[in-house]
Amino acid sequence: MSTFALEIVTPTKTVDQGEVTYIRCPGADGLFGVMAGHTPGLFALSAGEIKVAKEGKSQYFATSGGFAEVTGEKVQLLLETIEASTEIDLERSREALERATSRLSSGEGDPDRTRRAIARAKNRLKVSQR
Amino acid sequence: MANLKDIRDRIKSVKSIQQVTKAMKLVAAAKMRKAQERMEEARPYADRLFNVIVSLLPDVDRSLLPLLDAREVRREALVVVTGDRGMAGAFNANIIRRAEEEIAELGRENVDLICIGRKGRDHFRVRGYDIAAQYADFWGELEFTHATSFGEEIVSHFVKDSVDRVRVVYNWFRNIAVQEIRVEDLLPLEYEEVNVTAVDRLYEPSKDEIVRSLIPRHLNVQVWKYLLESYASEQAARMVAMENATENAQDLIKDLTLDFNKARQAAITKEMLEIVSGAEALTTN
Repeated sequence: MSTFALEIVTPTKTVDQGEVTYIRCPGADGLFGVMAGHTPGLFALSAGEIKVAKEGKSQYFATSGGFAEVTGEKVQLLLETIEASTEIDLERSREALERATSRLSSGEGDPDRTRRAIARAKNRLKVSQR
Repeated sequence: MANLKDIRDRIKSVKSIQQVTKAMKLVAAAKMRKAQERMEEARPYADRLFNVIVSLLPDVDRSLLPLLDAREVRREALVVVTGDRGMAGAFNANIIRRAEEEIAELGRENVDLICIGRKGRDHFRVRGYDIAAQYADFWGELEFTHATSFGEEIVSHFVKDSVDRVRVVYNWFRNIAVQEIRVEDLLPLEYEEVNVTAVDRLYEPSKDEIVRSLIPRHLNVQVWKYLLESYASEQAARMVAMENATENAQDLIKDLTLDFNKARQAAITKEMLEIVSGAEALTTN
């Protein structure tokens, strides 16, 4: 199976994932997959789960969004946050979800922001189940 | 002359203060290095993001993007970045003074203050300024999520039309010895027109959508940069302040030791005089 280089760039770290065979990203219009030879482009990503297949094994990450740049040679993901499913702090995600939910029901703060916070927390909880 | 025990006690207490200042200096040095590393780490992401935005802007209908909308400035929000703690020389005082000058320009009633850091918040709260938002006691555990939540707050403040401009007053870190106070425009977003050769590629969902979703992220990383610059500057200022304190303590110890030795010699001389005169009194009898 042909492979392509994947690099994940965030404000706090840059991770070179090496050669991978497939990634699946949460695009703004729904999930999409990238394999070697994909058409070059720029894709907005929303909060969700990223799946990376490498040497026959799949890894899952939670992200709060960003964008993907696909060029002929490689794929670069510029993401605000990225957490591997294995390193998600369950306790913290649950607390964040509770806090945000109670904020929403009490009508405190900006509801749009609170909804985004809830979506992020739910996503992290979901990805951590992988 | 002060008595020997008093001087000895003072030397002891100055020495223990010196140990504390020395330790604080080392801690500040370590924290400063960490902040510098984080600045380095953020650079590839920040640069790439901004380049993408700027390269797409010429093709985007700007009227759809309130964050680019430059309007006449009647009200503004001023983000003041200070530390949570003192013991850093004039670090906090300088930034507060500059912020007050900026506020005076538009008039106090036309400025919404967003205070980041306890020192600034305390200063302005005591003086009865309007504080629109405040964040304190987070510097010790600074994470990128702080930047995200401050960024979102700032954006929602701007979009809700209550202010025409958002500016940031912060310490820019040049090096250990030099930190500059800077005032920068955060919103509306400034950019230079660039002519990029069109690349033939897909944009999904659309160029507009991409720019729209990237601008808030760009602001978050800008806020992150301000936080790190300020944090590194604060630690550098603290390092220098503690270095000076340690030196002053050293000088004080030197002076006190001299006093101590003088007092000790005086005491010995006095005792010898007493013995000699006592002996003399015996022999003359």
